[in-house]
Amino acid sequence: MEPRELPAPDRTLDTSGSFCPFPIVETAKAVRTLADGAVLLVIATDPGIATDMPMWCKATRHEHLATFREGAAWRSYVRKRGG
Amino acid sequence: MANVPKAIAMISGGLDSTLALALVKRQGIEVKAISFYTGFCITETQRRKGGRADGTVPRNEALRAAADLEVEIEYVDLSGSGYLDMLVNPKYGYGANANPCVDCRIFMMARAREIMEREGAQFVFSGEVLGQRPKSQRRDTLRIIERDSGLDGRLVRPLSAKLLPPTIPEREGVLDRERLEDISGRSRRRQMELARELGVTDWPQPAGGCCYLTDESFAKKFFDVLDAREAAGEERRIRPEDVLLLSTGRHFRLSPRAKLVVGRSEVENALLEGYAAGRARLEAKGVNGPVALVEGEPTWEERVLAARIVARYGKGKDLARVEISWREGDLAENYDVEPERDEARIEALRVG
Repeated sequence: MEPRELPAPDRTLDTSGSFCPFPIVETAKAVRTLADGAVLLVIATDPGIATDMPMWCKATRHEHLATFREGAAWRSYVRKRGG
Repeated sequence: MANVPKAIAMISGGLDSTLALALVKRQGIEVKAISFYTGFCITETQRRKGGRADGTVPRNEALRAAADLEVEIEYVDLSGSGYLDMLVNPKYGYGANANPCVDCRIFMMARAREIMEREGAQFVFSGEVLGQRPKSQRRDTLRIIERDSGLDGRLVRPLSAKLLPPTIPEREGVLDRERLEDISGRSRRRQMELARELGVTDWPQPAGGCCYLTDESFAKKFFDVLDAREAAGEERRIRPEDVLLLSTGRHFRLSPRAKLVVGRSEVENALLEGYAAGRARLEAKGVNGPVALVEGEPTWEERVLAARIVARYGKGKDLARVEISWREGDLAENYDVEPERDEARIEALRVG
């Protein structure tokens, strides 16, 4: 999905400064608090997020919308399964 | 969805744990994968340091395996003081280096048991293979791990199941023993065959060797910290902040009360900056050179020696004199020193 087409996130999680696997650990916790179909934006400075997030979404069957770099950080959009 | 049996998989993402996952999942069992973070994983540390020398970032293999098999995965952080204390006082001792593999497995399996109970699962399984590793995967140690973790009868090793006593899920018919394996030893031929049969096509190469505790150089630094603390009258403990420092930089033992760590790259220099609080920070002035830290309480002579070693690892190593800044809390000093030229002396101080 192109960045301009992305939905406004229902929640934003900033993991800047934390390293693998903690951005994913925090993502998992945050997704649990969301309603089905809600969108989470994860901001990360660990470049591993670009490979980890699509894999984590596939494993947990959430929808990976996009992960892209913006400045020094990465932005990753996830839609919670269901809904 | 009533009564679908559930199991907890301990996975690293290596071939064996991926195959174990596939073997259990194909029996219609709901699987939740867990992967442990200890702080000693070489791949994770490489990622923290910005990837490999060629610029690529290593994959997280446990995530990759869970994604390939579409199994939910949870990361479990073990890196606290309970784990570190176990590493210092292992009941079953160390392998060749600082690796107390049996105690570490017990620690992990005990945590897996808690997750099994929380999730209402019937058993835990892993990719362990009988006889594959000299210490932690012998028949007697596999049994000890099962007993001491409190998983008696509920710890399944699908790759070697037919060579081990039937577990509770096998006896109760939750798991079909006939569809598990009888692999033993170090050969991976049967695993390769099984990967083809189960459609597993992607796994990391080479296998194993992911843990710093099994690394000889790391182990020397690990025991050096413990021995120095003991010699200085402190508790024989590893602290959480020691872990990343032990895998960063060149280490020099100046005395039981003082150690020097010298960065080897831009990334290591930046990492050391993050640990400057509570330590002295050294860097050459006017010429490029590494960031270095001194821990402990160095004497005057040791301070000068540390400054000379830091000068030797910078661009000013061939100059007659180099000015080294020494910052420690509010204290800022400059030492004008000759770079240390006695390589044998440097080597004698080096740890690891």
